Amino acid sequence: MWAWILFRISGLILVAYLFVHIVIISQGELSGADTLDRLFEMFDSPLLVFLDFMLVAAVLYHGLNGVRVVLMDLGIGIRQHKAVFWSVMVVAAGLLAWFAVVAAPFVF
Amino acid sequence: MWAWLLQRISAVVLLVGLMVHLIATHIFNIGQLSYTNIAERLQSAFFIIVDVLLLAAAIYHALNGVRMVLLDYWFSQRSTRRVLDTVLVVFGVAAFGYGLWALWPWITS
Repeated sequence: MWAWILFRISGLILVAYLFVHIVIISQGELSGADTLDRLFEMFDSPLLVFLDFMLVAAVLYHGLNGVRVVLMDLGIGIRQHKAVFWSVMVVAAGLLAWFAVVAAPFVF
Repeated sequence: MWAWLLQRISAVVLLVGLMVHLIATHIFNIGQLSYTNIAERLQSAFFIIVDVLLLAAAIYHALNGVRMVLLDYWFSQRSTRRVLDTVLVVFGVAAFGYGLWALWPWITS
């Protein structure tokens, strides 16, 4: 139940991010290289790096819970779905911690 | 049925493609992301193919996801559902076309 609610919320956050991402990255073609480079510099600000952290958390949660969903559709791990969920969450937490270590100097 | 299957296929494309995309963007280029080094990466046909596949899979997966959420609460009537589907298809095709346009100099080079 909670896994499903978080799957939806993270999915909707990622939908919003996807279209923002397309608009931002296309500025390289629409407004030129300088505009895009200035945007990249802006993304190094503490607030935006923190938002990046939240984004990575949403991607990892949605992607890894999605792996569990696809496996269950293939008939794998249906009875052990809770163990599979917590296993993929350990992977997600590990990758998020890695991101946090790399990103921390930008925030603090 | 087809929407369900395509959602799974696009999910797998996204899992693999995003990994390639993130590793290429943030691990090989860490600390120096710029127009120039993205342009350099897009010289390679492999990364253009990955990016175009990601664009298509992400837009499909996102909008079909939105559709699934909306259908759980609204648009129960057949006629309103058709309006929703049309809006989502038009928006998705437009977003894909816009993304292709932004990549066009590298697709044709």
